[in-house]
Amino acid sequence: MMDIRKFFASARPAVPKAPVNGSSTDEEPKSKKKSASKASAEKPSEKRKRRTILDSDSEEEKNERKHTKDKKDGEQKKSKEKKGPVQYVSETDSDEDGAFLSLKKHKENVAKKMVKGGEKGGTVSSKNRVKSPSKASTATVKSPPTPKQSSPPKPKHTPTSVLDFFGSGAVQRSEKKLVASTKRKASTQDLEESLNDEQIARQLQMDEDMEQLEKQVHEDEEFARTLAMLDEAPVAKKARKDSGEGHSSSASLDKQSSRAKPAGPKTQSPKGPSPKKSSSKLASMKRRDEEEERKKVSSSKKEPSGNAATPKTTTPKNESAPSTPKVSPKKAETSPEDAEKRRGNAAAFRNYLNREGPRALGSKEVPQGAENCLEGLTFVLTGVLESMERDDAKSLIERYGGKVTGNVSRRTGYLVLGRDSGASKTEKAESFGTKIINEDDLLELIRTKPGKKSKYEIAAEAENKGVKSKVKTPPSKKTSQFTPSPRKPSPQKPHTSRNKGQTPKKTSPATTTEVKKELTFGHPPAPEDAGNSLLWVDKYRPRNLKTVIGQQGEQSCASKLLRWLQHWHKNHSGDKPAAQRSGRFGGKDDGSSFKAALLSGPPGVGKTTTATLVCEELGYSYVEMNASCTRSKNTLKEVIAESLNNTSIKNFYTGAAQMVSKKHALIMDEVDGMAGNEDRGGMQELIGLIKSSKIPIICMCNDRNHQKIRSLANYCFDLRFQRPRVEQIKGAMMSIAFKEGLKIPPPALNEIILASNQDVRQVLHNLSMWSVKDKVITYDQAKADAQNAKKDMKLGPFDVCRKVFASGDETAHMSLIDKSDLFFHDYSLAPLFVQENYIHVRPAAAGGSLKSHLVLLSKTADSICDGDLVDRRIRSSQTWSLLPTQAIYASVLPGELMRGYMSQFPTFPSWLGKFSSTGKHNRIVQELSTHMSLRTMCSKQAVNLEYLPYLRAALLTPLQTAGAEGASQAVQFMDDYNIIKEDVDNIMEISTWGGQPDPYSKLDPKIKAAFTRAYNKESHLTPYSLQMVKKGRRGAPEADTGALDQEQESQGVEEEEEEEGLGADAMIKQKKAKPAKDKAGDSGKGKGKGKGKGKGKGKN
Amino acid sequence: MSLWVDKYRPTSLGKLDYHREQANQLKNLVQCGDFPHLLVYGPSGAGKKTRIVCLLRELYGAGVEKLRIEHQSITAPSKKKIEIDTIASNYHLEVNPSDAGNSDRVVIQELIKTVAQSQQIQSSTQREFKVVLLTEVDRLTKDAQHALRRTMEKYMSTCRLILCCNSTSKVIAPIRSRCLAVRVPLPSVEEVCSVLANVCKKEGLQLPPELARQIAEKSGRNLRKALLMCEACRVQQYPFSGEQEIPETDWEVYLKETANAIVSQQSPQRLLEVRARLYELLTHCIPPEIIIKGLVTELLSNCDGHLKAEVAQMAAFYEHRLQLGNKAIYHLEAFVAKFMAIYKKFMEDGLDNFMF
Repeated sequence: MMDIRKFFASARPAVPKAPVNGSSTDEEPKSKKKSASKASAEKPSEKRKRRTILDSDSEEEKNERKHTKDKKDGEQKKSKEKKGPVQYVSETDSDEDGAFLSLKKHKENVAKKMVKGGEKGGTVSSKNRVKSPSKASTATVKSPPTPKQSSPPKPKHTPTSVLDFFGSGAVQRSEKKLVASTKRKASTQDLEESLNDEQIARQLQMDEDMEQLEKQVHEDEEFARTLAMLDEAPVAKKARKDSGEGHSSSASLDKQSSRAKPAGPKTQSPKGPSPKKSSSKLASMKRRDEEEERKKVSSSKKEPSGNAATPKTTTPKNESAPSTPKVSPKKAETSPEDAEKRRGNAAAFRNYLNREGPRALGSKEVPQGAENCLEGLTFVLTGVLESMERDDAKSLIERYGGKVTGNVSRRTGYLVLGRDSGASKTEKAESFGTKIINEDDLLELIRTKPGKKSKYEIAAEAENKGVKSKVKTPPSKKTSQFTPSPRKPSPQKPHTSRNKGQTPKKTSPATTTEVKKELTFGHPPAPEDAGNSLLWVDKYRPRNLKTVIGQQGEQSCASKLLRWLQHWHKNHSGDKPAAQRSGRFGGKDDGSSFKAALLSGPPGVGKTTTATLVCEELGYSYVEMNASCTRSKNTLKEVIAESLNNTSIKNFYTGAAQMVSKKHALIMDEVDGMAGNEDRGGMQELIGLIKSSKIPIICMCNDRNHQKIRSLANYCFDLRFQRPRVEQIKGAMMSIAFKEGLKIPPPALNEIILASNQDVRQVLHNLSMWSVKDKVITYDQAKADAQNAKKDMKLGPFDVCRKVFASGDETAHMSLIDKSDLFFHDYSLAPLFVQENYIHVRPAAAGGSLKSHLVLLSKTADSICDGDLVDRRIRSSQTWSLLPTQAIYASVLPGELMRGYMSQFPTFPSWLGKFSSTGKHNRIVQELSTHMSLRTMCSKQAVNLEYLPYLRAALLTPLQTAGAEGASQAVQFMDDYNIIKEDVDNIMEISTWGGQPDPYSKLDPKIKAAFTRAYNKESHLTPYSLQMVKKGRRGAPEADTGALDQEQESQGVEEEEEEEGLGADAMIKQKKAKPAKDKAGDSGKGKGKGKGKGKGKGKN
Repeated sequence: MSLWVDKYRPTSLGKLDYHREQANQLKNLVQCGDFPHLLVYGPSGAGKKTRIVCLLRELYGAGVEKLRIEHQSITAPSKKKIEIDTIASNYHLEVNPSDAGNSDRVVIQELIKTVAQSQQIQSSTQREFKVVLLTEVDRLTKDAQHALRRTMEKYMSTCRLILCCNSTSKVIAPIRSRCLAVRVPLPSVEEVCSVLANVCKKEGLQLPPELARQIAEKSGRNLRKALLMCEACRVQQYPFSGEQEIPETDWEVYLKETANAIVSQQSPQRLLEVRARLYELLTHCIPPEIIIKGLVTELLSNCDGHLKAEVAQMAAFYEHRLQLGNKAIYHLEAFVAKFMAIYKKFMEDGLDNFMF
């Protein structure tokens, strides 16, 4: 593709100098052109087919000559050219004759109108494929319009087909250029040189994209168009400047370009005939007008034509398409055998888990291959390579320009097969006819393959040339300078008209140019002078909602926010009930019932940018408060509450009659920072504001689930921003990199983006930092740097635990620091996880011997103990500087000792649960010993160890032996020891061992009922106040006073009624614990109701 | 109706069954109307608390037996509320400051000071001082013990402290030096037997001396435990027989099973099972020292020769670290793992030697 560019570049330059004039004169005197074109018209189809590459070349040269002449001639020729390109565009897409034919028809139609323009068109056509048309068009202002009209529809249809032919993205680029050319009409010439870079960047990026994600171009047409525009503009300039060099480059054109050319010649021939060349400028002017009219009127026609072309173009696709169908049937066949396969897969997976690492690491010498020798090749690695780690292999391939993908597809060039490779990949590869090679072959490939110039280099060279040519060939500039003047008057009018046809919004030429500029760049360049002092992040900040990375989709947060804001006043004007009806549960996800929106997402994804842009887009003036403002309750009240009811002064100036302006918005940035003493009460105030607000409020935060945000989130329309995909970021970054003259290969950029965890801002910062050092970033360097800049990723404790014990390549390269860093992911949990899971690991060092395994376990346990000692030190005396020591003992050493295969997923440390249940039991024992302390007079521990078992026995024996009669005895015993019913339950709970059921639960429910009844029958005096028992214990009435029975009764009832409310929880718990007993208690209560009433109530 | 151990608890110094000489000394000490701070120490089940209560009764009369349990909440300087239960009569206050955990210092500072600072109004009918009984002093933090030092001296006129603990090793020297230390040793087997016989006589039961001796030995001369065991035996089988099995507590049984599990197999899986069992013991608030002690006694019976020494040394090592560390389970597990490794090695080496 780059080659093609050069052609164009050369072509344009040629114009001023007209170096080729000798030849051009031969062919290109207008009359000759006409004749030639006619001749070509006559021969068209045959010639197309038969013409050799050489012919195409010659034709191109002719074209160039023509161009030169054209320029000399003036606008007329240009106009002709313009007409030509249109036709070509369609042709370029489809190399097949059929396509041409259809094109011809089009062209003929056009030609009739254009008559004279045809010749030039023909000449241009060859270039068209390459973008030449666009360039040509840029050179001649008028020419572009035609390409635009025809081209836009095509690019969408044909991209894949182009790929098929060329394999690289250049084709796409050309398509996009065509698109772009339409827009360029007005702006191309004006564009700064910086655009060149952009263009290159775009191209490269597009190539990448196409290869990687066949279909996934940019989701947004507009974005695509902007890209395309970027591409073209710069090219045009280059072309002019490079004219001198262009020829030489053309001579050295690659095969690709030559291939592209053949199509050109063919196309030429059709064009030749159709347009009859008009030598007179007037005629050309007329043609243009006609064309334009035609386009306007018959834009529909052209589109159809484009469609007509597309089918043809798609034919190549179809060829490729069959292959995919073929694949699918195979899959279908396999499906019946799924069950077997699954079993096989399971086994395979087990094997996979067990498979060893490379056996002969580093045994083979990695050859020094020629630069970019693997350019354009796609590899898939499978299995274990013997002499290198997979990562190493991957980076090796990427270093030489190859690409490594995860799955075999049609595009896969080679499948590198290792030991224990996956069956599915091999099958697939066979079905696709992919070359299957082994590791040695790969190395051989690197050794032997001739180096290529990487497309990036070529792009860079082209750029350099461009620079040189600027310096060397002033005349070209002149030409370019004078060319614009004629262009401007003529083109603009047509532009506007076209614009109306295409994009109705843009009416006036001035606005169109503006708009175009805005659209052209994902990140529109800031004014050059300002750019130097600005951070890249600000310099390339999106100026338009459409250019926010990752927010173009219809359902994206940005557009949701836009819609929400648009309808805000409608939703919240007067009829509140209506708005609420459609609210949260209405199923509509437009947030119409919310007065505020909450944008949440990780940093660097464009939340603030989106919010401000949305406001700007809708013409809202906004007040922004971020964490740098104090946002306490009072300040919020004063500052914001006022401004919420403000009218905008702006309206007075503009004379808008609106007295109370509706176009305000409040942006509360970083609301999650709204805490601490300074901002006390701010959140509540904000919620209050939202409730009463008359203007929309947009809040932003990072962690939506944060405790602080939760209350706010209930009042907000929830919009969650996701990280943009790598490809989305890459596109924009590429363009910026090239704008800044930074050369960075896409794989390197990939690394950088991944390293920064897809944080756009971070990527930009990183880029700008590295660009200071060196304008060229190599893959290796970028990888290394990216590694350094890698955001510290927080691993979950489970991952940490797995990693601590993981063996093989995962940890082979980890330094001691890396290993101890694992511990610091969560230094309070990590030791627990290690301790919990070290037994599950089968250490590799043991070599299967049980004895050494046990020794290792013991050593590990010792080390963990040491870690615990250090932990104690740390926590008792706050010597946190000992943490690294603990890291070594509690994580690194166990990892080293036990390194091996973990037989299961790490389990969550049971220590935490056990600790809390220990605490609970401890409390119970404490309570029991307090209750019994008057009788036992012994410590908690003695109660637990000595009393409890016998106490339980003493309580239960009467029940077990005497049944219901024993109940009173048991109750008597309880009274003697001052324990209450709940204590009995507690005793039963903590005296069960090993999950055995406690003997109390084994009792006959009737006996239990009798026991409960007996207990409830009388009130029990306790030497302690029951209120101190926090769990709202009911049972004995307060007995400290030693009041009479009657009094107690009444008191008891009252108190228990109170307690009903207070101790609801405890009661519920109790119910669950022994429902059977309670029921029995109810039924049998009868007589005991008088006294036991209150208690019974309490219980149930 | 209550357990024998509580039912037949002596209430005056004169009725004590053993260590009569010591009892007499205490009686003499009290009779002169005043006494220094006391530090009563001795193993669990030896009768420390009983002695103290008898002493108080000797001092204040029967009024000291009117006890109430009070729930006090103290606000620490850091505004933290600390809740603690105290047992009090009109004359004395019993408190276990270590219940407050790390805030025990505050309890010492606030609670005891307030008690100590208040003067007795009616000094004619009562003693001039109150008694504060602090239990489990050995579990106090160092901070709390230091807080105690000054209090002990400053309020000497209004307050006497009786400190009760199992071992003085964890009581700081300054406190030890301020107190009259009274050691209450465990009763001998014979003494235990005679107490058991007395109790049974009062209950109207015939206790064969063999069984009494057995119980005494099994309880480790812990009189409380011995009495409880005896009562359990009574429930289990009466009339007593000399060979009857003495019921053990659940946790002891569980601990023994755990030890047997360790001996019967040494493998990572078994280690996991043992860990689960250790956790079970720990969640039942069985102190880790007791666990490790129980394990070692069981394990040692399965070892022979130099292995015994090694295991004992190992156990001591890990018990020490247990005290230094935070998480008991780590150290118990490490001990078990170590034992498994050594034992496995020992067994295999032994086999090898046997084979060749």
